[in-house]
Amino acid sequence: MEIATGETQYTVSEDIAGIVLSVQNLKVTYGNFIAVQDVSFSVHGGEIFGLLGPNGAGKTSTLSAIEGLLKAAQGNIFIAGFDTKEKPLHAKANIGVQLQATSFQPELTVDEVLQLYAGVYGVSLSKENRARLLYDIKLENAATKRFGQLSGGQQQRVSLAIATMHQPQLVLLDEPTTGLDPQSRRQLWKRIEEMRNRNHAILLTTHSMEEAEAVCDRIAIIDHGRIIAIDAPEAIIEKHRNDPEVISASRKGKITLEDVFIGLTGTAIRS
Amino acid sequence: MSTRLPKRSVAAIALLRSDFITQWRNRRSVILVLLVPVIILISWKGVVAKMGAPFVLSNCITIGLTAIGLMGYSNALARDRDRGVFQRLRVAPIPNSLILLSRLAVQMAMIILLTLVVFLVAYENLHISLTAGAYLLSLIAAFVGGALYLGLGQMIAGLQKNAETVNATTRLVYFVFIMVGMFGELGLLGEQLKKIVHWSPYGTVRTIVAAAVQPANWSTDTSFALLVTIGYSLVFALLGIKWFRWNTK
Repeated sequence: MEIATGETQYTVSEDIAGIVLSVQNLKVTYGNFIAVQDVSFSVHGGEIFGLLGPNGAGKTSTLSAIEGLLKAAQGNIFIAGFDTKEKPLHAKANIGVQLQATSFQPELTVDEVLQLYAGVYGVSLSKENRARLLYDIKLENAATKRFGQLSGGQQQRVSLAIATMHQPQLVLLDEPTTGLDPQSRRQLWKRIEEMRNRNHAILLTTHSMEEAEAVCDRIAIIDHGRIIAIDAPEAIIEKHRNDPEVISASRKGKITLEDVFIGLTGTAIRS
Repeated sequence: MSTRLPKRSVAAIALLRSDFITQWRNRRSVILVLLVPVIILISWKGVVAKMGAPFVLSNCITIGLTAIGLMGYSNALARDRDRGVFQRLRVAPIPNSLILLSRLAVQMAMIILLTLVVFLVAYENLHISLTAGAYLLSLIAAFVGGALYLGLGQMIAGLQKNAETVNATTRLVYFVFIMVGMFGELGLLGEQLKKIVHWSPYGTVRTIVAAAVQPANWSTDTSFALLVTIGYSLVFALLGIKWFRWNTK
């Protein structure tokens, strides 16, 4: 969709091979607890990169550090070439974010939420543009509805539309399909794939191995704050298919990404 | 690769607009904040003759300011932090200070509204009218006093993560300020407490508002009260902003 922009314009990189996000030796701590240690990876334009891990493995901490919500104890993060420590606002201007919980003022209408975020991202959205944006996410009749009155799936759609309204080079999605029904989930994945086709770099976290296997170009499995595997899903499966832990985790005969994930991270339930 | 940041003025207008709309949609709580000083003002009709209009008006405005800073502002901060509203705004390319300044601007508007409502009710029901200068000075004093309570609200909401704890703390502080403040200033709780209350956040604000209502009564004591009020405001605001916990984890 074409969005009319004012003085502040953002351009998505044309270079598909270009690195949009670079995380180098990241360390995140909460007091004495080390949540993320020595994490390094990069995401390219036109790539969907999945960050997988059990609960408390360090996924959200990594994402929060990239978003600028947490201060890294060590390491560097570059977004669209901007060092997040030196140019945090420039880095943020190149990210679109969908947080784990949809987090807009429930008192505002959908149209008012769109206007707020158009303002804070410096995007000039006319009434017609906003209507078109809502039409695109099949919420054309919801403009005057309070955000708090929308269903979970509708809130996710608004959230994703806002995450991409300024055409960011990097889109961060924290467990985007949690709580969605199968129809909404399918629709969301379709939208994420469309974003990839428009050359956005997409970093997402998910607990759904099936989805990660089907949609992500590359994945990183993180456990106890460290990356223990990083590659294309099929390459990771291929590399670990003969591990005894993976074979014992397999239930269907065919080795899946979930089997590899369980084999690598163990069967113990995390907090 | 070029990246231009959004204009601060455009972002500020968008934030202000949404914060004012949110405040308007929560107008029931706004009415409740205004109702307490109005009820006290009407019920204190007989006190005006004994203690004078400045005493009554300054108490009502101070109580209203306390409610705005402690009950309104701090709880709104805690509630929106709980909902993740701040988290979402903080990942946008705007400085954190802009988010808080927009919130404060809404509260400043609330202070103007409160002061006007108190003066209007005082005029209509108690036939109290002031000079134009006194009205203006009272408004300025209300701003200064309001800053103290907004700072205190900021500190309480900033240093505690849990919205329920913030709510309970502000209620307690509000109750203590009103009860101890009002009765202490009257000397009903003893001379020692009267002195303490006089230099407490409640007392200093009431002193400057009372002097603003009747500018001829401005004294050295009032000037000291003004300085102490500014001092309190700075300390509370600095603590509340520096150690503000943006998320609940």
